[in-house]
Amino acid sequence: MKEKRLHRIISRFVDIRPDEAPTAVRVFFYFFLITFPAYIIKPVKVSLYLSWFTNARLPYAYLLTAVVIGFVVVLNTRLLNRFERRRYISLSQLFFMANLVAFWFLFKLHWPWLSLLYWLWSDIFIATSVTQFWIAVNDIYNPHQARRLVGFFVSGGLLGGIGGSILASRLAKTIGTENLLLVCPAILFLSLAVVNGLYARQPKEKVAEGRAAPGEKKKPTGYLESFNLVRKSRYLLLLSGLVTAAITVSTLIDFQFNSVVKETIAAKDARTSFLGAFFGVVLVVSYILHILFTSLVLKKFGIRVVILFTPLILFVGAWAVFLFPVAALIYWAVAVKGADKALDHTLSQAVRELLYIPIQPEVKYKAKIFIDMFVNKFASAFGACLILLFYTALKFSLKQMSFITIPVTGVWILFAVALNREYVGIVKRNLKIKWQDADKIVSQHVDRNLTKLIFDTIQSREKSSVLYAMNLFDLIQKEKLTPELRKIISYKSDEIRAKSMDSLLDVSGGSFVPEIADTVDDQELDVQVREIMALDAYQSVIQDRIEEIVSRGQTEADVDRMEAAKLLGMMVPTAPVVEDLSRLIIDDSPEVAKYAIESATRLKKPEFVPLIIRQLKNAFVHEVATDALIDYGEEVIETLRSRLRDPQEDVAIRRGIPDILGRIGTPRATDALAQELAGGREDVEPELIDALYKLKSNHQDLCLPERTVLPVLHDKIKKSYLVLMEIDKLLLDGKKAPLVKDLENSLSRSLKHIFELLGLIYPFEDIRKAYQNICAGTKRSTDYSLELLDNILKKDLKEYILPLVEDIPFDEKVRRCRKLVRALERVSFNEP
Amino acid sequence: MIIKTREKDDIVIFDIEGEIKRSDITDATLHQLVKDQLDRGRRKILLNFQDVAFIDSFGVGEILASYISTHNLGGKLKIVRISKKLFLIFQVTMLTKVFEIFDDEERALQSFFGE
Repeated sequence: MKEKRLHRIISRFVDIRPDEAPTAVRVFFYFFLITFPAYIIKPVKVSLYLSWFTNARLPYAYLLTAVVIGFVVVLNTRLLNRFERRRYISLSQLFFMANLVAFWFLFKLHWPWLSLLYWLWSDIFIATSVTQFWIAVNDIYNPHQARRLVGFFVSGGLLGGIGGSILASRLAKTIGTENLLLVCPAILFLSLAVVNGLYARQPKEKVAEGRAAPGEKKKPTGYLESFNLVRKSRYLLLLSGLVTAAITVSTLIDFQFNSVVKETIAAKDARTSFLGAFFGVVLVVSYILHILFTSLVLKKFGIRVVILFTPLILFVGAWAVFLFPVAALIYWAVAVKGADKALDHTLSQAVRELLYIPIQPEVKYKAKIFIDMFVNKFASAFGACLILLFYTALKFSLKQMSFITIPVTGVWILFAVALNREYVGIVKRNLKIKWQDADKIVSQHVDRNLTKLIFDTIQSREKSSVLYAMNLFDLIQKEKLTPELRKIISYKSDEIRAKSMDSLLDVSGGSFVPEIADTVDDQELDVQVREIMALDAYQSVIQDRIEEIVSRGQTEADVDRMEAAKLLGMMVPTAPVVEDLSRLIIDDSPEVAKYAIESATRLKKPEFVPLIIRQLKNAFVHEVATDALIDYGEEVIETLRSRLRDPQEDVAIRRGIPDILGRIGTPRATDALAQELAGGREDVEPELIDALYKLKSNHQDLCLPERTVLPVLHDKIKKSYLVLMEIDKLLLDGKKAPLVKDLENSLSRSLKHIFELLGLIYPFEDIRKAYQNICAGTKRSTDYSLELLDNILKKDLKEYILPLVEDIPFDEKVRRCRKLVRALERVSFNEP
Repeated sequence: MIIKTREKDDIVIFDIEGEIKRSDITDATLHQLVKDQLDRGRRKILLNFQDVAFIDSFGVGEILASYISTHNLGGKLKIVRISKKLFLIFQVTMLTKVFEIFDDEERALQSFFGE
């Protein structure tokens, strides 16, 4: 009950599933209780430092932190691997609590260098705590979940920061800057309780990711190992580059801001109060931005666009300094520093953390520690060096420091663009093909035509020695009569009771039984048969016999007509007797028709084509007729097309034609299929889609125009929505399960067609992987599939397709589809 | 040819009697029956060849088409109790590289869940 109420409250602001609510709330408070003390510690850090040192000494603070933080990274990594996560985080929080009390005591001794030490300690505390938090998030959630919930978690952090800033601002002048430190241990104690509660709820296997299994020797992950991991991965290198550029820009802006504050506010406690208020206001603005925009912007534009927002805004901000007089620089400083921090707390942070999620778990944690701590601080050091060089050594003014900020922001933009390309690649690598194309599996192992010939040969042995001999002859001609095959299909002569070849010539006498004699030379046999068939006398006699068989029709035994049909295929196409094949192609006996169609395929005379097409509706010779027409190739395309378009034509025939065109596979056949798809032939639409999909599967460089596919896609999506709504209606009416089941199956078929259509205009393998993982993958791989679709589909398409495949409650799905179906009626996917 | 259908644990079993050949005209072909089950959302198909004496090229085509249709929807089609004669021919024609063939129905049914 409580959980349901909790979910109801939170789901007003966040896209959250009912079972996610309790954990999400804990994660929210965890972040809140880290950032609250952090935003007391921060203004104290800056104010105390500026009390003891000039702004020119600020770069030394940045450098010291950067140098020391490397060792902290090593220690942090070792502890992460040594202890279970929960214990590790708890111990570090207890350590920080003790440090705060110690600093409070030591500040009473008024040692100047203590403010430098405290600066260092603050950065370590903030970096470590925030990293631990995001590691916990990565432990608990997969990418798609994280993207939905990251906004909610960041809210917790923002609210905590606002609370801490307000407290610092209000109490600094009253109790003094140093005494503010005593508030923090109490808050951290609450955080400790929340973290323990959070990990207690998680299944052990989820949390064990990235750690060694029990009993295994645990290798400590060193700084060098983390560095090597990052170095070997292009994605991680680009991410490091992005973070470096971002932090360098932030350091330069921070220096400009602190310098202006020092020059404007001299008194320590007043400065602490101002800084507390400034950070508080920045966080409030960040919170508002975050609530209103972060998830919306991410959902609307995706990570790949949002990653560019911050550098572009700061690029403009850096130029703006030249519009402000020196006396008014505090306003510029507040605006740019405010923008930097606000965007960093909201969009940039969310994007950076989301960029980690597609990385393999065993790499992620090690790389994250290295990038978040070392790269982060290296970038600060780099920024500090730039300040020392240009401000201290080359005597740049505060305004002129923007000439350094601007190019570094440009580099940031370049890294963001490069990372965009890599992000999609890494999401794809997390998706595996679930099942291979069965046609290809069969083709790899089996020669279908030969297999059928073998089965027919063996079967014909029982029927007719003539047919048997003819089939053997085919095997010999194809050079496929292997020793194994000979053994299997050979027989004893006294088993045969079928008519002999002699009976064809109407010669009385004993049965001639063709045995598979190893002594017979295959090539010699071929030549002998052809020579006989070329004789005029033979042609004359055989023509009479065949005409007699064909004219008697069904009164003649099937086997006689089968033999005649087979024999006609062995003639030259110009032989007059070949015309008799026409009647055999449409014979009532499927076996006779089969042999006749096969013979027609050999002869390739155009007059047989309409008759073969007619046989497409006969289930027992459909496959033979299909193979025959495919073999005819290009010359039948127009005939097939005209039959496909003819609404009077038997629908079974029309439904067989797309497959034939697809398997002919020439550009003309492809164009024919595409044009028929665009022509809106609904009764054969599934077959057209299947045929084009198979074509694309075999020719992935095939490009179909979007204007052909999009209208069909639009229609299929709309129909899917209507089916969903119909299912909902039936469920509400309490209708029988079979009706609902039928509609669900229909929806499933529609979805398959939607993905097949997408495969025609988007990278084939990507769409295939996404579809297969949505149908048959784990929850994690389904989420990766959705992430992939989100990144590769155009905005208008994904808006309509994703609701059909997302894992959301059914009533929510129906609600969204109801809204979208109205929108679909107004929109066309072809519109720019 | 007579084809009877039964179900066990979400697996559809087709018990085929007679010979799967072109000349044996029935109301529905084997592939049509398999496709009907696939349209109903079934994805596990077992063909019982215990009473199948022989098949011709049409029969081979039907079995291959059924396999392809099932597999391309992420399903599995398997064969059980094939005769020694047929099995030998399946081996020579490499069909054993495509189909999973079992002697025993229980083991065949278990294999659907082992994956």
